[in-house]
Amino acid sequence: MFKSQNLSFEYAPHDSNPPPLTLKNINISIQTGEFVAILGHNGSGKSTLARHLNALLTPTEGTLWVNGLDTKDPASTWGIRQSTGMVFQNPDNQIVATIVEEDVAFGAENLGVPPEEIRRRVDDSLAKVGMLAYASHQPHQLSGGQKQRIAIAGVLAMRPSCIVFDEPTAMLDPSGRKEVLSAAANLNKEGITIILITHFMEEAAVANRVLVMEDGEIILDGTPREVFSQVDKMQALGLGVPQPTALAHKLRQAGFNISPTILTIDEFMQDETVKKILKGQANANN
Amino acid sequence: MTRITVGNHYPTGSILHRTDPRVKLAGTVLYVTALLFVNNFLGFILAAVFIAALIKISKVPPRLIFRGLRMIFFMLVFAASINIFFTSGQNVLLHFGIIRITTEGLTLAAHMIARLVLIVTGTSMLTLTSTPIQLTDGIESGLRPLKVIKVPVHDIAMIMTIAMRSIPNLSEEMDKIMKAQKARGAELDTGSLTKRALSLVPILVPLFVSAFKWANELATAMEARCYRGDINRTRMKEMKMNAKDWAAAAIMLASVIAIAGTRWVI
Ligand SMILES: Nc1ncnc2c1ncn2[C@@H]1O[C@H](COP(=O)(O)OP(=O)(O)OP(=O)(O)O)[C@@H](O)[C@H]1O
Ligand SMILES: [Mg+2]
Repeated sequence: MFKSQNLSFEYAPHDSNPPPLTLKNINISIQTGEFVAILGHNGSGKSTLARHLNALLTPTEGTLWVNGLDTKDPASTWGIRQSTGMVFQNPDNQIVATIVEEDVAFGAENLGVPPEEIRRRVDDSLAKVGMLAYASHQPHQLSGGQKQRIAIAGVLAMRPSCIVFDEPTAMLDPSGRKEVLSAAANLNKEGITIILITHFMEEAAVANRVLVMEDGEIILDGTPREVFSQVDKMQALGLGVPQPTALAHKLRQAGFNISPTILTIDEFMQDETVKKILKGQANANN
Repeated sequence: MTRITVGNHYPTGSILHRTDPRVKLAGTVLYVTALLFVNNFLGFILAAVFIAALIKISKVPPRLIFRGLRMIFFMLVFAASINIFFTSGQNVLLHFGIIRITTEGLTLAAHMIARLVLIVTGTSMLTLTSTPIQLTDGIESGLRPLKVIKVPVHDIAMIMTIAMRSIPNLSEEMDKIMKAQKARGAELDTGSLTKRALSLVPILVPLFVSAFKWANELATAMEARCYRGDINRTRMKEMKMNAKDWAAAAIMLASVIAIAGTRWVI
């Protein structure tokens, strides 16, 4: 799906006093159908990388291929943007039309899809995100989570093979976050590649691969278990780990023999040592 | 969430709501033009009957239409007084200092009021029975012939759509900023007029900043969804005139001609 070779990027490359590179020598390969979470500090370059994935930005040096198409080739731009959709952070700043279904249709209209087919896709996409009942509502009267689902439906109507989410839940309340995250997970089950940029470790734990960015580079790349089991390193980066993982780590430091690969509350509760602790049978160092 | 609605569309599903917006737009323009021709009461009565029939067909509650009239009430009073007090004429009814009330003045004032009321009710019929998007689409499609002389019709319609989209955003943002400034001790609704005007500055500056940020992010989101002007663009809701639309167009045209024609009848 995506493959990059020595991708580097700097904003304003023609400045006489060039700012430091925003992306440095990135080599990644992401397969179709993966669910990848990207973590990193503010300013580590996550959004900049995301915008490369659908040719909103192109590498200053190196190359990025999307489904084999070079993003630098202007002839490929529209094909790439069709196959890789984007959902942004602020729900209010990505809705174009004043009626929900009109907004969902916007992308497909830009692609020149015939009207009856657009109608079908719009209904289909709205159903997939559970918003069909709101088709003729005005977007600004919906909740944040609903607006984000409208944005997802708008991308779906373009029939993409990948959706990049740039902190889609940052401005939402917990229930809105759940709505958006489960919509993303469902789409992944249908075979759509999901790239999820987030500051919430619990959200990243749902992915099947985690990339950690720091200062324009990818410094960790692995399954959530591999990445989050490096508790000390993640905490040194100021990123932290999911709460069950952190708790298990603390208990292990206190001498309890708990698995280092715990990610979720369920896994934590299933751990043999935890069960013993809860029954009052466990001591440190056994 | 805000309760603001964009435009004053009032959906009832009536046949007037379902009529092609281009017919309604053209009808409104012709109707307003016809009213400018009218110079006797027969014409105004005819126009009033026409509008009353439309209101009945549209099933829009008349109070919504009168609400629109309330907003122009002072304008009506002002325009009428000028006509009553300052029209010169032969048939003086009352003379008081520089004020002369004449029959001609009274007639002119009555015409003026009738004309304004009929124009406002007519145009609000248009906005009550069409969504903003239908109107912009109607304008885009109705003005398409102007593309030949290089009028950027699509761009104008897109600008109108986005401007409408921005209204709830801006008002929400303004509300937020005002609360933030009040929390810092800004006094927005006390003091002299100049003081109040000056206190708007710390609201308008952040409002502009956020409007530009909004526009910038929206533009990125539009590009991400493959927007590139009207190159190769289709529409989900294509506008097609069906038999009913043509019939409606014919009825509107006939009515409008009849209204304007009264000028030459009496
Ligand atoms: N349009 C721009 N012009 C110049 N510099 C920019 C621009 N956008 C971002 N930068 C800089 O590039 C760096 C990386 O920014 P980026 O937005 O990719 O970070 P991020 O990881 O997405 O951060 P966040 O978590 O805050 O969203 C930052 O130092 C930022 O200041
Ligand atoms: Mg970002």
